[in-house]
Amino acid sequence: MLISLQGIRREYHVGGEIVAALAGVDLAIDRGEFVAIVGQSGSGKSTLMNVLGCLDTPTAGSYVLNGKDVARMSDDELADVRNREIGFIFQAFQLLPRETALANVELPLVYRGLPAKERRARALEALEKVHLTQRLHHKPTELSGGQRQRVAIARALAAKPSLLLADEPTGNLDSATGAEIIRLFEALHAEGNTIILVTHEPKLAARCPRAVRITDGKIVDDGPGAEVAFRDQATGQLRDEAHS
Amino acid sequence: MIRAFFDNLRLAFGTFVAHPLRTLLTLLGIVIGVSTVMTMMALLEGLRIKVNKDLSQLGANVFRVDKWPQGFRVGGGNRMNWNQIAARPPLTLADRRAIAESCPSVLRTAASSWQPGQRVRTVTTETQPNVFILGTTVEYPDTSGITIAQGRYFNDAEDVDGRRVAVLGPDVADRLFPNIEPLGQEIRLKGRPYTVIGIVERRGKVLGLFNLDNQVLVPMNTFLAAYGKRRTSSISVEAKDAQSVDRAMEEVTRVMRQRRELGPNDENNFEVSTNESSAKSLNELSTVITAATFGVCILSLLVGGIGVLNIMLVSVTERTREIGVRKALGARRRRILAQFATEAVALSLAGGLIGIGLGFGLAALGRWALGLYTAVPTWAVGLSLAMSSGVGLVFGIYPAARAARIDPVEAMRAE
Ligand SMILES: Nc1ncnc2c1ncn2[C@@H]1O[C@H](COP(=O)(O)OP(=O)(O)O)[C@@H](O)[C@H]1O
Ligand SMILES: [Mg+2]
Repeated sequence: MLISLQGIRREYHVGGEIVAALAGVDLAIDRGEFVAIVGQSGSGKSTLMNVLGCLDTPTAGSYVLNGKDVARMSDDELADVRNREIGFIFQAFQLLPRETALANVELPLVYRGLPAKERRARALEALEKVHLTQRLHHKPTELSGGQRQRVAIARALAAKPSLLLADEPTGNLDSATGAEIIRLFEALHAEGNTIILVTHEPKLAARCPRAVRITDGKIVDDGPGAEVAFRDQATGQLRDEAHS
Repeated sequence: MIRAFFDNLRLAFGTFVAHPLRTLLTLLGIVIGVSTVMTMMALLEGLRIKVNKDLSQLGANVFRVDKWPQGFRVGGGNRMNWNQIAARPPLTLADRRAIAESCPSVLRTAASSWQPGQRVRTVTTETQPNVFILGTTVEYPDTSGITIAQGRYFNDAEDVDGRRVAVLGPDVADRLFPNIEPLGQEIRLKGRPYTVIGIVERRGKVLGLFNLDNQVLVPMNTFLAAYGKRRTSSISVEAKDAQSVDRAMEEVTRVMRQRRELGPNDENNFEVSTNESSAKSLNELSTVITAATFGVCILSLLVGGIGVLNIMLVSVTERTREIGVRKALGARRRRILAQFATEAVALSLAGGLIGIGLGFGLAALGRWALGLYTAVPTWAVGLSLAMSSGVGLVFGIYPAARAARIDPVEAMRAE
């Protein structure tokens, strides 16, 4: 078991009221799984990803990653977990604008304290996996959206993490480029990487071996991707019919 | 650790390149502070070296007897007040004669007396009323270190007879006789004619204030007749050799105390001081000026530091997203802290380096354009470096701590 969440809550205080972005999430994910997380905007997908990625601390509940209780970790230990165990891929790419593609990919290795030579070698290896060896010295602004996201994926891969977390990685891309990125994830999954992918596109979720649907901070469906996507569409249709 | 340091340094450099004008403006306070200190220290150090050199030229065997304490003594030691000193009897030519006659360790003596702020005229032109008129006995060039550039000094006969002959400082000579040979010409002091018989070698200014070249020297008796007999003199005493200076000073002190009929418990009502003691009081003065300069410098460094604080806070705010990304990728708090602290230190150190360069430039300019004697002391360079990096650290630590505390989730949401 790579991930075990139990009763995870994440609450925000908004104008005197308490809003629960996550309202009791139980979830277990094994090494090597490829899980899609679907749900409407505001349902809590990003909050869940941030908790999984040790970027955010839950208000209540327990999170065991790789056999270690995340709640007990110090700030520095969390930083090290993010550095070694987690590869984050964001919707908005989150590349450093002043640095080249290569330097961006090297960044997590810099924080791991690797010598420059090894950094370079690993970054090149990761950039090769995303087929971007022609653009090493380009700044993000000199790259297309798809290329930027591939740099971001290379950056996530460079540290060889246990877990890839992608929060709507195709959200800022056209559908053809998005499909390319998804094929890349499928290839990475085939190599044995554990991937959790947030998407609002049922078609993408349907392609995943497993999907989890989240509504109002709670998991409401969990199963093979195609089935979850189908049930989602069905309830959507029911909803639409009820409204009409 | 070292690798992290160089990574941080590279990042800091990147920031400066990204905002060159902003960086430069931020540095202004530090640049001004450091270059002020450097220039002032260069002036003081130059002055100190020059004065010490001048004083050593006078010979270590010479000391002086005066009514007034050395001009630049500052604070401490002397508890006498102005009125008490002013009430002391003047030193006279008779005192000088007594010293010369009854002190076996004394080789020679010279007396001088002065009147500042005088106008010197010729038939056709005149100086500003700022010339220093000095009456001296004939030994004066030997005990004071002045040299005659042209013509000659006056002799005993001219002094005894009170002849109206004059030796000019080079500035006075240039002012009054720009186009003709001054020797043999006539000048007028208080309306009476004097014949120019010599010109003094140029010596420059002391403390950048007192101009040794804007003088007219006349025989002592001539001076006393013209400017009043009751004024005090300064008596320069040269001992026979270096070993007898202390003994000569004791003898002179004893003779003077006898002449003034001082009891065993009375303090001296005159001053005996060596050139070394003058040098010492100059050094005391320069310490005070140094302290004052540091006051000014600390103030402008404070201003510079607030500039650094401000720009670093702006930088942290602008780069919130970047900081969030770095933390998300595994940068520890300390690493972010170190990155921004390094940037602040590098920033103000750059200001310090520019200031040091500017200080050297201004010192060279002063030497070249104003003829000032300047020398930048090495310790001032070290101190400037230490102070500017200290300012960067002190004022950079708060923005850096703020950067380190940034929440990555919030930061990456920020636009
Ligand atoms: N910092 C915050 N302060 C207050 N409410 C927040 C904050 N972050 C998220 N939320 C709320 O939590 C809920 C879940 O947000 P999020 O996880 O971003 O949803 P999703 O990614 O599924 O669109 C939303 O209602 C959102 O408004
Ligand atoms: Mg989201």
